[in-house]
Amino acid sequence: MKKIILIIIYSVFWRNFLKIFIGLSYINNKSLKNKKQFILIANHNSHMDTMAIMSAIPSKYIHKVHPIAAVDFFGGSTVKKLLMRYLVNATLIKRDRNDPNNDPIDSMDKMVKKSRSLILYPEGSRGTAGVMTNFKKGLAYLIQRNQDVNVIPVYLENIYKTLPKGKKLILPYNCSIRFGDPIKFESYELEDILTTSEKALKKLII
Amino acid sequence: MNKIFNSIDLIPEIQWVIAIILMILVIATTSFWIWGKIKPSKLVDEMQIRTRSWWIMCSIFVFASVVDPVITYLALGFLSFLTLREIYSLLSLRETDRSVLFFCYLSIPIQYFLAFKGYYTLFLIFIPVFMFIIIPFLLVLTGETKDIIRTMCILPTSLMLGVFGISHLALLINFPEMNSNGVSGKALLLFLIFITEANDIMQFVWGKIFGKHKILPKVSPNKTWEGFIGGVISTAIIGYFMGFLTPLNSWQLILLSGSIAIFGFMGDAIMSAVKRDFGVKDMSNAIPGHGGILDRVDSLSTTASPFFHMIYFIILSA
Repeated sequence: MKKIILIIIYSVFWRNFLKIFIGLSYINNKSLKNKKQFILIANHNSHMDTMAIMSAIPSKYIHKVHPIAAVDFFGGSTVKKLLMRYLVNATLIKRDRNDPNNDPIDSMDKMVKKSRSLILYPEGSRGTAGVMTNFKKGLAYLIQRNQDVNVIPVYLENIYKTLPKGKKLILPYNCSIRFGDPIKFESYELEDILTTSEKALKKLII
Repeated sequence: MNKIFNSIDLIPEIQWVIAIILMILVIATTSFWIWGKIKPSKLVDEMQIRTRSWWIMCSIFVFASVVDPVITYLALGFLSFLTLREIYSLLSLRETDRSVLFFCYLSIPIQYFLAFKGYYTLFLIFIPVFMFIIIPFLLVLTGETKDIIRTMCILPTSLMLGVFGISHLALLINFPEMNSNGVSGKALLLFLIFITEANDIMQFVWGKIFGKHKILPKVSPNKTWEGFIGGVISTAIIGYFMGFLTPLNSWQLILLSGSIAIFGFMGDAIMSAVKRDFGVKDMSNAIPGHGGILDRVDSLSTTASPFFHMIYFIILSA
């Protein structure tokens, strides 16, 4: 049931809306086709980012792909929580690392162990329009614990212009979503993971 | 579905044009294919990609022009939309201009509705009079005056090129004077698009073969005097032979096609200059081999309205 809802929302509605009306072009999204599990890392400037990525995912396993969202921002009310869970397929995590029961890395790790795929924004928040900031360490911890999962960089170009931070009006703007090849990590040291994945994402900027 | 195809009334002239377009495409495809087999080069590859895009564009256009007029209006309106989107995506407008852009997009359905209803005067003045005043005022309402002149100038101009010009194509279809006494608006529409695109191709071909003296060395190095003059003359000749689509006599046809060729050249040159200012070669890569929508539509947006008003003048004074 959830799968059907997600397919209608993303593979049918958002994909066509973004393609025809907004002017989004999907580049190399076929590379996801025969990968069962992956962690997508993307730059983050707008709420449209998640819609764009979700609409690019093959409908076969769209129900197994979870955008990661912070509960303090998106889980304000019960209705909001339910909408996030069923319409966005999001996993809400707590950002509070001091409480050992709520370690965000642990909850993400559990999802990956259940062979779920994740969409992560390693910059943490939407930040300033068009500017990429340094990656947060959480990504590196997650990759360290799951070294055999494909980590795929996704670069979202100009998508923030269709819905900038703090605006409510969605406007058309020619933009693109570009998928890279799975990142090959040479060492699994914390800093190396971060620099390698940052480099891989920046390589997609043309 | 039945309703859509029931309204197909293909007058024999239009059938002829479709046959001619098909023939040209088949000849072009086969000759480029043979040429590519004998002597492969970069130019042939590019021509093959271009011809492939022509196939798609021609089939969309032929389909949209033979089915129900409502679909033709929707298709032309969508063309205007794509043009505006392409312009606004390249311009780095201020963030406060966003809300005004919404009204620019909104003018597309209004303008095409006026064309559909045949409200001639309103159609003519909606963008050059009303939007010309309303858009700058909406910009004033946003309260941000820094660099406001730039946006104030850009937005009405983009509407004139992308919406006003192209919507004249739609006006041809239903316009009463263009659809009586043996005149067919759809035939005129086909004539205009055929002549404009033939002019683009002819200028390109003449320029490639004989081009020596640059006409706009600073703006577009591809445009030459030889291409321009050869293009105008061959377009006038093509127009003369395509005259069966129009109610005009021979010298009117030659003059009209010649001036369409000149207007088409102007549109092309204007867009080349704009692209040079943006620092891009093509507007986008929407149409393989041709560039963006605007790279293909640029000449149409400047030929449609002159063509309409010249024809209207001739019909009225006849």
